[in-house]
Amino acid sequence: MKLIKFPPPILCLIPAITLIPVLGQIFSEIHVGGLEVLGEFFYAAVHPSFNPLVLQSSFQGLQVTVATALLSWSISISIGLFLGFISSSVFWKCFCAQEWQSTAIKNSLAIPRSIHELIWGLLLLQLFGTSPLVAIIAICIPYSCLVAKVIGNQLDSLDQKPLIALRQGGGGTFSSIITTLLPPLIPKIKSYGGYRLECALRGATLLGVFGMGGIGTEMQLTLQSLEFREMWTSIWMLGGVMLALETMLNYLRREQNTKKKIEKFTAQFIGILALSIGIALLWLQRIDINLFSGFSFHPIILPTFEELTNAIYELEWATLISQTILITVLASGIAIGVPVIGLMMFPSKTSVSLQRISWAFLRLIPPPLSLLLLLLCTNPSLSVAALTLGLHHLGVMGRLLKEGISDQINHNYLAIYSLGTGRRLAWLYGCLSPQSRSYLAYAAYRADVILRETVVVGIVGGVGLGWQLQESLSSYAWAEVALVTTAYTTVTLVGEYISDNGRKYWMSPQASKHSSQLI
Amino acid sequence: MINKISRRFFLSSLLLIPSLIIGTEVITSEDVLVIGAIPDQNPEHLNRLYKMLSNELEKSLNIRVKYLPVTSYPAAVSAFRTGNLDLVWFGGLTGVQARIQTPGSKVIAQRDIDIRFRSVFIANTKSKIPVLQNQNDLKKLKGKRFTFGSESSTSGRLMPQYFLQEAGIKTTDFKGARPGFSGSHDATIALVQSGSYEAGALNKQVWQSNIKRGRVNKIKVKVIWETPTYADYHWLAQGSLDQRFGSGFTKRLQETLLGMNQYSKNQKQILEMFGAKRFISANNNQYTNIERIGRQLGKIR
Amino acid sequence: MKKLLTLQAVNVLEAPEARLKDINLSITYGEKIALLGKSGSGKSTLLSTANGSIRPTSGDVKWLNVYLNHRTSRQRQHIATLWQDLRLIEELNIAQNINSGALGRHNMLWALRNLLGLIDYKPCLAYLKATGLSEKLLFTSVQELSGGQRQRVAIARLLNQNAELILADEPFSNLDPALVEDMLDLLLKKKHVNSVRVPNTCLISLHRPELVPLFTRVIGLRNGMIIIDRPSQEVGKAELDLIYRSK
Repeated sequence: MKLIKFPPPILCLIPAITLIPVLGQIFSEIHVGGLEVLGEFFYAAVHPSFNPLVLQSSFQGLQVTVATALLSWSISISIGLFLGFISSSVFWKCFCAQEWQSTAIKNSLAIPRSIHELIWGLLLLQLFGTSPLVAIIAICIPYSCLVAKVIGNQLDSLDQKPLIALRQGGGGTFSSIITTLLPPLIPKIKSYGGYRLECALRGATLLGVFGMGGIGTEMQLTLQSLEFREMWTSIWMLGGVMLALETMLNYLRREQNTKKKIEKFTAQFIGILALSIGIALLWLQRIDINLFSGFSFHPIILPTFEELTNAIYELEWATLISQTILITVLASGIAIGVPVIGLMMFPSKTSVSLQRISWAFLRLIPPPLSLLLLLLCTNPSLSVAALTLGLHHLGVMGRLLKEGISDQINHNYLAIYSLGTGRRLAWLYGCLSPQSRSYLAYAAYRADVILRETVVVGIVGGVGLGWQLQESLSSYAWAEVALVTTAYTTVTLVGEYISDNGRKYWMSPQASKHSSQLI
Repeated sequence: MINKISRRFFLSSLLLIPSLIIGTEVITSEDVLVIGAIPDQNPEHLNRLYKMLSNELEKSLNIRVKYLPVTSYPAAVSAFRTGNLDLVWFGGLTGVQARIQTPGSKVIAQRDIDIRFRSVFIANTKSKIPVLQNQNDLKKLKGKRFTFGSESSTSGRLMPQYFLQEAGIKTTDFKGARPGFSGSHDATIALVQSGSYEAGALNKQVWQSNIKRGRVNKIKVKVIWETPTYADYHWLAQGSLDQRFGSGFTKRLQETLLGMNQYSKNQKQILEMFGAKRFISANNNQYTNIERIGRQLGKIR
Repeated sequence: MKKLLTLQAVNVLEAPEARLKDINLSITYGEKIALLGKSGSGKSTLLSTANGSIRPTSGDVKWLNVYLNHRTSRQRQHIATLWQDLRLIEELNIAQNINSGALGRHNMLWALRNLLGLIDYKPCLAYLKATGLSEKLLFTSVQELSGGQRQRVAIARLLNQNAELILADEPFSNLDPALVEDMLDLLLKKKHVNSVRVPNTCLISLHRPELVPLFTRVIGLRNGMIIIDRPSQEVGKAELDLIYRSK
């Protein structure tokens, strides 16, 4: 089948179309019944609880979360770096002139990556008990694999000629790879790594299941009991930390753009990783959390073949999978398209800073909370689930886009603006075009994350694989858990295959020649 | 210059790691009684309640007691199975799940209200769902937007689903061919009151306490049916406690719980926070019904 | 005399630019060979085949009687290549680039230390001097250098490899005359510059027939085949015409 080939900037805009059916359904069922509770919620925002007990436990939770995030971040970056290297085709080409191993490793890494850290946590909890270590491992597994994917792709896109040169001159495989590929990679890892730290903080917030507590636990429990004032105490605290982190990362990013020696970079990078492991461990110890406490192996009875086949017939796979895919597609569309449209339609300075603030807010609010808030004023539907996830990740995508645009030189914009075009068109051609390819690459990763996170919103009406996974886990039906996990992985792999090929199809050099033609 | 600085930075950060690993030695002490609870209340309440309870148990049993917070129902069950928790305040279903997975464990106490616990079905007044005369009337919920609470809750999911089933309503009979899972009893009230869901089912105790606290708008939401009684929340203890803390310990633990009364200021406060007058003795057999229903609805395998 | 590199009946059919047909060639110790040919005649492909970065479709390439892909790590260091695009590591400074020529003699830890700038840079100074670069530039990033300076860094790295044979792909294009003079002097005439040993044997592709007298032997390529292979004294206008004529 031949498809219309759009140029990349248009591809960034198109996903926003999904907003139409989603908002359409939501507005058609909107009501005011939840206004009182909503009012309470917003009133509580300016009147958070200052009860010393609440403050104390939120602060303790915050420390746990930040330390966990720091530790799992540095570990997952280190492991991800290693896995990224061994999953890149350049690495295998160096070793044995073949690259099928790379494909094999890449695909097998999709399995741990496709399962949400929350589910990893619950699975590991079954096997190893309530240990803080389980929380760390649960975050590290999908995160390492995600980092590995990004690093692997980056490595394969680097210029390999210097590597061939050093190899030819007798350099050892590892030595040559380190010498030629690390230097261009490290600045990229640093900016990506900073962004991962934020993700780790969000991840650690979601996790609290492990007897470790954390600010996420506080938020979840206060949400369940609708104690909004106590909830806001936690939200504001977490917001403060996120703001501080963002400011710090921005500062680092700006500093990085100035010319700097690679050895300083490398030392700084290794130093930061080692230091964060150190600080996190000390910190956890100080707040009286022993990583290894309670860690021991408790085997579970593996499902038999018969149970597995029975489970196949028990679940409605077509519905589960199609619901999951639908939520993912709608949510991804919103997350990818809306920031682009927003920045294009409202390019003035004030409205851009307003948008940035709202993105930060959307990132801060955990999806289960926004889901509840949305549900207070509209009827439950897939659209609500999609909008919830879409809004949360819109905050992330918006920030990535704005950063990319601020980092590039705006000659193009000025050139096109000076032609007499309007600001919006100038923005589209001058600012978005150069960014669109990397933005779409990030978008593909984001869609992956959204797919995993459908676990969080399945509760909206018992929909999708995510909800089924929780239901099966809470019924201790291991055969179902195994099958649903497999389904998740399959959907992830197929999704990746489509997005990879889609990108190749739409963004190959030929495509730009024939852009916007029917072929 | 640059070299020196980066070298120092690099080396010093490398040196930090081993010193830290040595610092975080594994400390395991056998003599601590770890208590836990399914998280069905706000954390401030849980922290306050279980801290007081820990102190009380420490005082009367003369051992160290620690409260380990857990954030989800299944996590509490698993933590009990893996031996990370010694004594847990479980709901009916989660307690049975935990007991089946943990041989030797036993039910030692429940609240006075748990022996005859009930759920309530509530409905938004705009939904035009009338007050139901009997269980058969649950049929009137067909085609309505309906929500349970948490998926592992006994009073917010298992028993209501069972009574619905008895009345001939499957979960696929609701609007959208599926019920919602609001996540908690409080959320069920808020969502039914807002009208997003036309009806829902929840723990009667939570409903009453919400009324008492003025968090229910009676113009918008009403009770349409009360379920028959069933046994719910209970204290579940590991079977190995006597071995670890000396023979007769489980009995002493049970007696301590049962002996709590209104005369001690602390104990009175604890009981109040549990929403009970006192704890009463309970045993595994009271929950055979829950187990049967759990199996029937696929929540126990 | 000792035969260093031999190519026997080599065919390269899957090459990015030009193919090679039935190449038979051996390089003896001490030879300075000029490789001539029009653009697209296969010069780069021949050099890449000779250094092992392209595997021939058929035929044998041997270094000291060992198949190229069977060489030990030590033997791999024997062939040094000056690539047309230099292949410097842009993000690193001059010292680190020069050090990367010695990777074959060191382990992975050393490579890491090199990245971190934790390696004694004094040995690099000799290579800087040998290639006529200022010592002040030692810690300059190669991105900031001029074309000529970059070429010198590439040669310094190549000398650091301590090889036996130099393969160079058009090293004299885009260089000013004085620099060409320096390079020729270094590659063709010297055995030592200060303490730095210069390999005694080389195969250099170039587009400058007037430089032929400086070499000992000339190989002419045309359409991927060797059409001339003889001592440089025997190469005159007729031979050059044969190589460069348009049809």
